[in-house]
Amino acid sequence: MRFNKKDYIKLENTLIKAYREKEKPKVSEQWEMSVMQRIRSLGAFPFKTSPFELFEQFGWRFAPAACVVIALLTFWIVKLDFAPEDEMAKFSIEQPIEASYIEMPGL
Amino acid sequence: MPTHTTTVDDHDIVRRVIAGDINAFGFLVQKYQGHILSVVGNHIPYSQAEEVAHDVFVKAYQSLLTFKFKGGFKQWLSAIAVRTCYDFWRKEYRSREIPMSSCSEEDRVCLDRVMASQSNQITSEKNLQKEARELLGRALDRLSPEDRMALEMVYLEGLSGKEAAGLLGWSVANVKIRLFRSRKKLRKILAGFLED
Repeated sequence: MRFNKKDYIKLENTLIKAYREKEKPKVSEQWEMSVMQRIRSLGAFPFKTSPFELFEQFGWRFAPAACVVIALLTFWIVKLDFAPEDEMAKFSIEQPIEASYIEMPGL
Repeated sequence: MPTHTTTVDDHDIVRRVIAGDINAFGFLVQKYQGHILSVVGNHIPYSQAEEVAHDVFVKAYQSLLTFKFKGGFKQWLSAIAVRTCYDFWRKEYRSREIPMSSCSEEDRVCLDRVMASQSNQITSEKNLQKEARELLGRALDRLSPEDRMALEMVYLEGLSGKEAAGLLGWSVANVKIRLFRSRKKLRKILAGFLED
């Protein structure tokens, strides 16, 4: 079963009216006191925030910049034509047999 | 508790609170509690509105350093209230048990009662409104938090798309799209209540 347009508009208007005339909540003086109690328990500014909270608040702001840096680095590595397997093979051929892999990064 | 003084500038109070005068925040709680309860009461069930309004002021205090002194404090606080209500529905949505598609016998009875009351002159206005609110609540519970907020703020409360977007922190286009979709969904949900 479906609504006809006239019935639905009538229903819509009834719902809107009911929503707008909803009873507003009231609070006691105790509520106000409990809010202030909670505020006081937090202490005065500046709050001591943990590094994790700071990262949560501000870290995401650097996300676009981090994405750009990652994209640029990826492009740069692709452009360099860097292939670790080739480098290793080249190193093994060029170096004497005693040479170890530790020497490769210069350690 | 500090007394209500309308002449005291909100910005000055905020500066005092930031400077360490916690009690000055009491002026703001007292001044805006009515407004915040009204905003929260529009979106949250009556029984939970008090708790959510409490959270709004706590969040406002915690975020006071982000308050830009260019705009009004009331607008800034309203945005926190609306976003707290949105968070409330997001939490509810994650933990809810009602399947989106199902509609119970009670939903059908509820809609039937409203439809009958509309055409019945004997039913009092108060009863009709009570039944209509129950029906609306049942339908809204089936919407996503995003759709629900857009629908309530623009369609039911009568705010403009721009005002709703400002309070929710969304783009105007996003609000308009959400509103269009949610109105269609609401109609579908209510029609679903009619089906056998």
